[in-house]
Amino acid sequence: MTVTDNTERPGSPRAVPSKGARERFADWLDLHAAHVFIWPAVIMILVFSIFPLVASAIMAMSRIRLRAGSYQVRFVWFQNFEKQMFGSEQFHFLGTFAGMSALGWVVAIVVTALIVWWIQRYVRTSFTVLGFTGRLFTWSLVLGIGWLAAATFFSGHHFGTLGTTLFYVIIGCSIQFLIGLGLAFLCSMPIRGRTFFRVVFFIPLMITPIGVGYAFRMMADTTKGPFSPAWQWAGLGDFSWASSAWTARSFIMIGDSWQWIPFIFVVMLAALESVPRDYVEAAQVDGASSWEIFKDITWSQVVPVAATVLLIRVIEGFKIVDLPNIMTAGGPGIATESMTLHSLFAWRSLDLGQSAAVAYLLLFITVVTCVSFFNLVVLKRIRA
Amino acid sequence: MSRTLKQKLFEPPSIRQMAPGTKIIVYSILLLWTLFVLFPIYWVFITSFKTAVDVNAGPVFLPFIDFQPSLHAWKELFVFDYKDTLKAYSNSLIIALSSTIASVLIGSMAAYALARFEYKPKFGVILMFVIMMIIVFFAVGRYGVDWRLSCAVGVAIFVFLARALGHHFTKHLSNGDILFWMISQRILAPIVVVVPIYLMFQQVRLLDTHLAIILTYTVVNLPIVIWLMYDFFRSIPYDLEESAQLDGATRLGVFWDIVLPLSRTGLAATTLLVMILAWNEYLLALFLSTSKAQTMPILVAAMNAGERGILWWSMSVVIIVMIIPVIVLAIVLQRYISKGLLLGAVKG
Amino acid sequence: MTVVLDAVSKSFGAVKVLHDLSLEVQDGEFLVLLGASGSGKSTALRMIAGLETVSQGQISISGRDVTEELPKNRDVAMVFQSYALYPHKTVAENIGYPLKIRRLNRIDMEAQVRDVASQVQLDELLERYPRELSGGQRQRVALARAMVRRPAVFLMDEPLSNLDAKLRGHMRAELKHMQHELGITTIYVTHDQVEAMTLAHRVALLEGGKLQQLATPRTIYEDPANLFVAQFIGSPPMNVAHGTLDAGTFISGENRVATGGNDTVKNAVIGLRAEDCRVVAPEDGDIKARLFANELIGDHTLVTAKVGEDMLSIKAHKDFEASFDQPIGIAFDSEKIYLFDKDTGARIRNV
Repeated sequence: MTVTDNTERPGSPRAVPSKGARERFADWLDLHAAHVFIWPAVIMILVFSIFPLVASAIMAMSRIRLRAGSYQVRFVWFQNFEKQMFGSEQFHFLGTFAGMSALGWVVAIVVTALIVWWIQRYVRTSFTVLGFTGRLFTWSLVLGIGWLAAATFFSGHHFGTLGTTLFYVIIGCSIQFLIGLGLAFLCSMPIRGRTFFRVVFFIPLMITPIGVGYAFRMMADTTKGPFSPAWQWAGLGDFSWASSAWTARSFIMIGDSWQWIPFIFVVMLAALESVPRDYVEAAQVDGASSWEIFKDITWSQVVPVAATVLLIRVIEGFKIVDLPNIMTAGGPGIATESMTLHSLFAWRSLDLGQSAAVAYLLLFITVVTCVSFFNLVVLKRIRA
Repeated sequence: MSRTLKQKLFEPPSIRQMAPGTKIIVYSILLLWTLFVLFPIYWVFITSFKTAVDVNAGPVFLPFIDFQPSLHAWKELFVFDYKDTLKAYSNSLIIALSSTIASVLIGSMAAYALARFEYKPKFGVILMFVIMMIIVFFAVGRYGVDWRLSCAVGVAIFVFLARALGHHFTKHLSNGDILFWMISQRILAPIVVVVPIYLMFQQVRLLDTHLAIILTYTVVNLPIVIWLMYDFFRSIPYDLEESAQLDGATRLGVFWDIVLPLSRTGLAATTLLVMILAWNEYLLALFLSTSKAQTMPILVAAMNAGERGILWWSMSVVIIVMIIPVIVLAIVLQRYISKGLLLGAVKG
Repeated sequence: MTVVLDAVSKSFGAVKVLHDLSLEVQDGEFLVLLGASGSGKSTALRMIAGLETVSQGQISISGRDVTEELPKNRDVAMVFQSYALYPHKTVAENIGYPLKIRRLNRIDMEAQVRDVASQVQLDELLERYPRELSGGQRQRVALARAMVRRPAVFLMDEPLSNLDAKLRGHMRAELKHMQHELGITTIYVTHDQVEAMTLAHRVALLEGGKLQQLATPRTIYEDPANLFVAQFIGSPPMNVAHGTLDAGTFISGENRVATGGNDTVKNAVIGLRAEDCRVVAPEDGDIKARLFANELIGDHTLVTAKVGEDMLSIKAHKDFEASFDQPIGIAFDSEKIYLFDKDTGARIRNV
C-alpha cells in the first residue's frame, strides 16, 4: 500500500502507511471469508458425521473382536445383515415367521395390490427415470413392511425391533399429531386463559426424556403409583403392565406422546395464529360454519407447516431410545425394544458388527421414509 | 346461524358468542389436558418430599394432609452425596453451555455463508473425497495401518489430486445442495455414528472428557442451528452489510456487529432450543462418558441400578433439580421458541 | 483525491453490463453518473467501492491501484439509497461506527461524532434509533456517517430518491453546499437529470454500459455528443423531427430547413430545444405544424405541435391561446439546430 496524501485532513483516523501482521491477517481472512465462514461447520460434519458414517458402514460389514487395548477386524461383507434378516437374529429384528394366517394373507394381498396400483398410476401419469428409481425404494420399503406386518402382527406372531420401532413411529406420531393439532385448534379459539394453556401445554417438551420415563413408570405402578387404588378396585392389583407386550408398548407410547404432543401443539398453534384474519372473516361473512372454515381456509393455510412438523417428528421418532430403556429396558422380552436400543444392547454385549448393522438398517429405513415423505408429501404441500 | 351480517362483520367472535355447549366441551378438554400434563410433574414433585414409608405403603397425594413432607431425600442428595450430584450438574452445565455456544456460532456462520456467498463444490472432487475416505478406512481397518499415518497420507493425496484435477470437472453442486446436506444430518440417528465416534475419541484418549461430549453435541445440533438461522440471515438487507464493509469492517466484523444483533430473535430461540436438547441428551453421553464427565441424564438413569430397587424419592429430587431451570426458561421464553420453530417449519 | 477508471468492464456471466469505462475524477470534483436503470451506473459505483469485482480494467484512487483491494481498505464512504442505517444502533453509534472500527478512543470519537452531527443538524437526535427518525433525518445520519471519517472519496447511490419532492430539493442544495465546504471528491449516481445538472461539476452520461458523454452540465445541455444525450437531457426532452439531409437542407414532408452546412444524410434527425422555438403565424414560421395541445405550466405555456408524424414541444408565453388543430408556424434560429445521423445517433456538426 502506498502512502496516501493525508496532509489536508488533520486529525482524521487515517490508515497507517504500512500494514502490520495483524492487518495483513485480517485482510487475508476477509479475502477468504467465504471459506472461513463455512469450513468450520463442514469440517465438523465431515469428522463427526460423515467419517463415522463410513466407518460404521465398514463396521457393519465386519466381525470385530475387542481385545485388551486393541481390536481385531475381519471383513465379512453382508453376513451381519444376513444374520439380522434371515439368520439367528431374525426373531430379534424382524420377528417370528410361523405361517401366515388368513388375515395375514388378506393384508399382504391388499398391500401388494395398493403398491401395484400406485406403480401403474405413477408410470401412466408422470414418468422420469430419477423419480421412478427414487420411488422404487419407497415401494420396496412399503411392500416389505406390509408383508412383514402381515406375516407377524396380522398372523398372531410376535414381531421384532423393526416392528416395534415402526409402531412407535407410525402409530405414535399419528396420535401425537392429531392430538397436538386438536389442542392447538382449541387454543386458537377465542377463549380466556390462552396464555396459561399455551405455557402449561408447552412444558413437557422441555423435560428430559429420562425424567419422563421415570415419572411414567411411577404413574403406571399398580401397587405404589397414584392410580393403584383404581387398579385394586378393578381387581387388577396384581397385574403388571410391564409384563404384557401390548400394555408395555402402549405405556411407552403414552410417555412419548406426553413429551412430544407439545412440540406439534406449539408449532401448529403458531401456524394457526398466523393465518390471516381477513380470510377467516371473509368466510364468516359468506356464512361458512366453523368446520367449513377450518377445512377450506385454515387447513389449507397451515398444511405446509403441518407436513414439515410431522416430518421433523418422524425423524426424531425413529431415534426413540430413552423411554424404552428407562421404563422397561426393552422388556418384556424384546417387546418394547426399539432399533436404537437393539443396537445399544448389541454394543453392550461387545458385538460391534451386529450393533453397526442394526444401526445401519435403522438409518436406511429412516432415510427412505423421510426422503419419501419429504418428496412425496412435504414438497408438494409447500409448492401448492 | 342467528348472528346478523352486521354482527358477523363488526364483532369478531369471542367466547361470549360461542354456544354454551361448545364452551363447556372446549374448556373441559383443555382442563383435562392440563391435568394430564401437570399431574406427572406434580407427582414427581411431591414424591421428592416423601419418605420410603410414604411411597411404599401405597399412594398418598396431598402433603401435610396425607403425609408429612420430609426433606430427607433432598438432604441425602445435597448433603451426603453432594459431590456426585454437583459434579454431574456442573458437567451438564458446562457441556450444555459450551456446546450450545459452539454450535450456534459455527452453525450461524455456515448459515450466513450459505445465505451470502455462492459455492460451487465440484461433484467430482466430492466423489474423490469419499473414495479416498473409504480407502483410508480399509487401510486402517483391514490392513492395520496406523490411523494417523493413513489419514495424513489420505488427506495429502486428496488435496494433491483435487488441486491437479479439480478444474477438469464441470458438474458442480449449489448452495441449496450444501444446505440440504447439512440439514439432512439431523436424520442421522445418533446410534449410527456413536460407536465410531467412541473409537475415535478412544484413539485420541479423550473418552470421558468434557471436550468429547461438547464436540459431539455441537455437531449433532448444527443442523438445527443452520436450518433455523438461514432464513433470518437471508432477510437482512445486503445494503447494511455493504455499508459496514465500506465503513471499514471485515466480513467477520460485519457478521458480529451487524448480522448477529439483527437476528436476535432467531438466535434466542435457536440457542434455547439447542441448549435444552444438549441438557437433556442421553444416548451420546451414555457412550462417551463413564464417570468424570457424567451428565445429569446419565446420573438419573444410573439410579435405576440400586440394590433396594428404585429409590423413587431420590430419583424425584434429581429429576426436579434437572427440570426446574428448563421449565423456568421455557415459561419465560416460550413465545420466542414457538416463533423460531414456526419460522423453521414454514420454509421447510 | 482523484479517482481514475481505466477501461473498466464488468460482465455477469455472458452479459456485459459495462463496456470499457474510462473516467478521471479530479480532486474535489463532484461527478454525477447519470443514466436510466440498467445503464451500468450503479455497477460502476459499486466497482469503485469494491462491492463488485472488476472483470477487466483498472481502478485507482489517489494514484493507488485498488482494483484488487478490499472495500474497507479503499478509503471510500458510501451513502446508499436505502441509507443502510444499522437499525440496532442509535444515531450516535451509527455515525461513530466507522471510527469504532478504526479503534479510535472514546473521547475523540465522541467529539468527532458531535462535530459531524452538528454540521448536519442532528445534535438533538443522537440518542434516537433510526426507526424513530423521518426520511430526511435518516438521510442526514447516512451523510454524517460517511463524513465522519473524512474519506478520500464519497460515493452516493441515489441518496435522494427516497425523499419526497420538496425535501429532495432542499437536501440537494444542502448536499451541494456541504460538498463544496468539505472539498471531498464525490461520485454520485442518479437517474434524475435535474439532480445531475444542479449538483455536478461534470456529468457522465451512461447508456447500455457505455459512456455517452462526460462534460459539464452546461456543455452536456448545449452541446450534446449524440442523439441519446440530446434526448435524455432537458425538460421537456429535445424535440426531434425525422427526415433527410440533402446538401445541408433538411427535408421532412413539405418542410425544408436550411441548416447552414452541406452534408447529405439519408436518415437524419433534426433537434430543437423547446425554449429555442417560437410559435408564429403559419406563413412566418420556418416549418408548418398543427397545434396538438397546449398546457399552461405557470410561467409559460407548453405547446405541443404536430409536424408530419413528429410531435414538437414549444415553450410559449403564458398568455398564449389557440384552438386544437389550428395551423401554426414554428420559428427558430438556424444556429440553434442540432443535427444527428439517425442510424448511428452521431451528431452531424456543421463545420
